[in-house]
Amino acid sequence: MDPSSLIHESSFPASNTSTSAYNLAEIWQFPIDSGAVTDSAPILGIQPAARRATYPQALPFADAPLPNNRDVSVEESTVTEHSGRSGGRKRRDSASEDESSKLVSTSSGNDMQDYNGKRLKVGGSKDENGELKADVEASSGNGNKPTEQCAPPEPPKQDYIHVRARRGQATDSHSLAERARREKISERMKILQDLVPGCNKVIGKALVLDEIINYIQSLQRQVEFLSMKLEAVNSRMNPSIEGFPTKDFGMQTFDASAMAFGSQAPREYGQGSQPEWLHMQLPNLSSYEYDYTSVLGGTFSALTNAYAALALTNAYGALALTNAYGALALTNAYGALTLLNLWCFTPRHLWCFGAI
Amino acid sequence: MKDESSGSSSANGRLKRSFAYRFISALSRIRRRRRPSSFYRGSRRIKRAADASMAYAVGSRRAWSRAILRRLRVTRPGSGRYPSTVMIKNQKKKKKKVPIILKPCESRAEKLRSLIPGGESMDLCSLLDETAHYIRCLSTQVQVMQNIADRLCS
Repeated sequence: MDPSSLIHESSFPASNTSTSAYNLAEIWQFPIDSGAVTDSAPILGIQPAARRATYPQALPFADAPLPNNRDVSVEESTVTEHSGRSGGRKRRDSASEDESSKLVSTSSGNDMQDYNGKRLKVGGSKDENGELKADVEASSGNGNKPTEQCAPPEPPKQDYIHVRARRGQATDSHSLAERARREKISERMKILQDLVPGCNKVIGKALVLDEIINYIQSLQRQVEFLSMKLEAVNSRMNPSIEGFPTKDFGMQTFDASAMAFGSQAPREYGQGSQPEWLHMQLPNLSSYEYDYTSVLGGTFSALTNAYAALALTNAYGALALTNAYGALALTNAYGALTLLNLWCFTPRHLWCFGAI
Repeated sequence: MKDESSGSSSANGRLKRSFAYRFISALSRIRRRRRPSSFYRGSRRIKRAADASMAYAVGSRRAWSRAILRRLRVTRPGSGRYPSTVMIKNQKKKKKKVPIILKPCESRAEKLRSLIPGGESMDLCSLLDETAHYIRCLSTQVQVMQNIADRLCS
């Protein structure tokens, strides 16, 4: 290590070591000391300038065809740096750590690092370092600029170009974009999984999509069914009594917010356990209904609990809910008797009168 | 997170209220100018009203609601031949389509695309985003319609 570094120190001009070597060395910190240093060092020492000139062009293809060249040049740069300043290595490490931490803070950079790390572990430590280099350059490109502008000689400029080439490599940016896209998709899939009931246990994108499709279809079918049901109910309402203005309609008969947030009252009627089932719906009823209840209060009080329950659950619930047409026919059949003009509970009372 | 959840719940409440109001007024409108029509046509009209009020409640922020609104505008009952021409165009397109063999996941995405209004022209990312919002709104719609139906029936 030491003798080779000494050789490089001697062969390089001072300005080169101060600027360019810093850049390269900052990037290629780890890999260098391993294999071919001692063998190839003398060769390098002979023609450093030529190497530098060819290096940028060679680099995009450097992974496969020219592994030796790249290793050697890298070693060269780091070694010179090493010999130039004794404490430089540590300083560089801390600097690169800072940069890597910066990268971690931005999501895309982090993703890329992870991704590259995963992919390149197979390939070997060399490539991993290469990716790290690319990351560092991406973040520190601006920081390096002023020093390079200050330094007159060519090699640093070439280094910069090489940085640009490495950075602007098409596959990298594409893979980065692809990575970001996949991240986004998986994130949204997770949201959807949380949204669709029973989808958390399902593993696999295709099955999750199946679940989502089924759920949406069921929801749409439900909407269709409910619209049929509402049509049945709506058509039952006599248009002649709908004289009252929409405001009243909105305010009183249909308490919009109450409906939106779903008071539990209507469902409890079906159980028929409340004797005051009539009075429970009073606050939301229109004035018509209120009058009606006061007029016919005696009749209703005469009704027993069981009677009301029968009327609600058997007659109306079963017929109207399961067979909307049935309910429609029912109301039509009793249309003659609908003198009470109350869509809300005329039919079912008529029905229960008829039933008993 | 807590802030977000509370915000979304309040937004959901606003959506619910707005949808309920619109839908109820649409129902009353339908009832008032009732024409002698078949049951199925009436139910379709109510479904349409439900869709429209949902889309209006959501506004034009979302792609699916925009698509619904566009469709409503195109297929408005009073507006002449638009639907038929649209249908013809679609049929032509379908004829030209060449069957492509897709990955299972892709075919599912296509299916999802056909389910979400306006999803034909979306990429997968935004499709999933819209799907999430659409599911949320659909479930809200179902809830509100269920409540209204319960209220009217009782």
